[in-house]
Amino acid sequence: MMLEKGLEEKTFYLNLGPQHPSTHGVLRIVLEMDGEFIVTADPVIGYGHRAHEKMAELRTYQQYLPNMGRVDYLHALAYNQCYCMAVEKLAGIVVPERAEFIRVITSELNRISSHLLWFGAYLLDLGAFTPFLYCFDDREQILDLLDRLTGSRLTYCFYRFGGVPVDLDDDFIAGCRAFIQRLRSRWDDYDNLVTKNVIFIHRTRDVGILPPDLALRYGVTGPTLRGSGIPYDIRKSEPFSVYPLFDFEIPTGERGDVMDRYLVRLREMEQSLRIIEQALDKLPAGPIMAEKVPKRLKPPEGEVYIAVETARGEFGIYLVSKGDVKPYRVKLRVPCFSNLSVLPELIKDTMVADAVAILGSIDLVIPEIDR
Amino acid sequence: MPAQTVIEKLTPLVGPEKAALVDYAATGCHVRVEAQPEQMPAVAAAMLAQKFFLESLTALDLLESFEVVYHFASYDELCRTVVHVPLPVGTEVPTLSTIYPGADWFEREVFEMFGIIFSGHPNLKNLILPDDADFHPLLKDFVASS
Amino acid sequence: MEKKTGEPLIQLAVLEDVLNLCRANSLWPLTFGLACCAIEMMAAGAARFDLDRFGAGVFRPSARQADLMIVAGTISKKMGPAVQRLYDQMPAPKWVIAMGNCAISGGPFMYEGQYAIVPGADQIIPVDVYVPGCPPRPEGLIEGILQLEEKITNRPRLRKYR
Repeated sequence: MMLEKGLEEKTFYLNLGPQHPSTHGVLRIVLEMDGEFIVTADPVIGYGHRAHEKMAELRTYQQYLPNMGRVDYLHALAYNQCYCMAVEKLAGIVVPERAEFIRVITSELNRISSHLLWFGAYLLDLGAFTPFLYCFDDREQILDLLDRLTGSRLTYCFYRFGGVPVDLDDDFIAGCRAFIQRLRSRWDDYDNLVTKNVIFIHRTRDVGILPPDLALRYGVTGPTLRGSGIPYDIRKSEPFSVYPLFDFEIPTGERGDVMDRYLVRLREMEQSLRIIEQALDKLPAGPIMAEKVPKRLKPPEGEVYIAVETARGEFGIYLVSKGDVKPYRVKLRVPCFSNLSVLPELIKDTMVADAVAILGSIDLVIPEIDR
Repeated sequence: MPAQTVIEKLTPLVGPEKAALVDYAATGCHVRVEAQPEQMPAVAAAMLAQKFFLESLTALDLLESFEVVYHFASYDELCRTVVHVPLPVGTEVPTLSTIYPGADWFEREVFEMFGIIFSGHPNLKNLILPDDADFHPLLKDFVASS
Repeated sequence: MEKKTGEPLIQLAVLEDVLNLCRANSLWPLTFGLACCAIEMMAAGAARFDLDRFGAGVFRPSARQADLMIVAGTISKKMGPAVQRLYDQMPAPKWVIAMGNCAISGGPFMYEGQYAIVPGADQIIPVDVYVPGCPPRPEGLIEGILQLEEKITNRPRLRKYR
């Protein structure tokens, strides 16, 4: 088409969100477009701000526990665990071994359910509806188990300072083992339905490559980082709880594209199954709650930084106490905050359809970014 | 030992006795550094050269002054380094976003929550709060009007 | 059926009833998940709880094609104008379900001095059905949709159990 004299080509702005089916929450990305290609991208966050960090200063340590389940509701148990560990370290509470095993089993089940949800929602973004139904079915099996034990399906508040309040019973253990067998038999289904699908391969191979040194400069963690080949997983690099007792691998990718991040998460689910199996085999007898945990918890003055590996990356809590019943400062270092900050670099000069594929592959939960 | 290397690299930049080992079992960190605001870009460049990533950047409101707290960690070998920068009220801190682009958002968040200004920041405006919000919620004397 | 007073010139009562029955049994929700409750809304639409058998499983991303807004999650002050705009963009007749404690009254985030959230969806848009819970179970959301159907058609769904 010939351009007439006097007409100039200009870029235009397109809003992706805050209400959009593929933004996984309320994220808004202001895209500067040159036709179908993205020139710059500017994420606008804060549509889910609920003042978690301010609430921490106005609540006692126990009263703040339910908040942790709502920061990232998909892997809520890991966030519970990190906060409990931070307070236990400050207050000098030692958790009995059986309670640590129960924490690991439930947290790994939660990790699998988070990855399953990501799997279904991501393929829904790409336009496929059937995997969503398959993985939600598997996810409901996990939710049944955790619902029997904890009472909640989604925003768990199960751990207490010093242990867990409810013990596993035989039905839970039998249900867990049956679930492990059932999910293992589904990997072939997922592979045939999705991984070997030629449309999926075309949309994800060599798309959104994250170079390792860029990841370092932005502080990316989690499967987003491991897809680029760096085996950084807090469960192995800075072991916490009883993870050193288990034998599992850290899957990594090679090229750092969307397909690698997808495969990392798929393989991580299998590794989580291995951890749960070993934990059930080695489950020790004993108490589930530490003795003499004071009702009005007043940890001594000090500060502590604890990190755990959640489904999205490294979650860290920086907790400062001045010896009061309420924390002085709680800083929540959430993985998606750093992971999202690298997105503008990744989607520069791509098409909008690829941008949606890349955005989904980072696995974001927006309320945790906004806290 | 990575902690010793960190101390060796940072002591020329922050001064003697300002970078020291701390008890990991009690605090979760291996090295604790006290720095002045103007030393931060050099400290950050040194940490990046040793392949550390910026784990967290936050601030504390200590009523009469502020303290900016940086955490650095490494993908390769565990060595968490915490850097405390005491800050009298009204002082500015140089930005780290030219060295660690990931610090860009962290600094914007500290700015809107505490009012601390990061000099040299390319885009220091509200990140999480609405654009027209002119209050700093994480200050200890902040009281919301209904 | 009750007799209406001041009856209009053209008797459309039966037609209105039929239209209301059609509207109630094919509610098209807007994909409007804000926070945690969105996941339970997705679970309600998935295989086990299956909103589709009530005709309400067709989630539309565009507000212009939806007639039911399920406010699932906390409305922050930054998001408030967007919620209002989306509600205005929906064509009439339209309904709103406030799902979860945050959409009803601010939920667990409501405290003295909360600066960041709108304490309830009914502060900015008219709400028809409230579904409490944090988050409500998918069965709860389905009950909310069935209550809305009863509100639209003005007749109970299962007569002999009422």
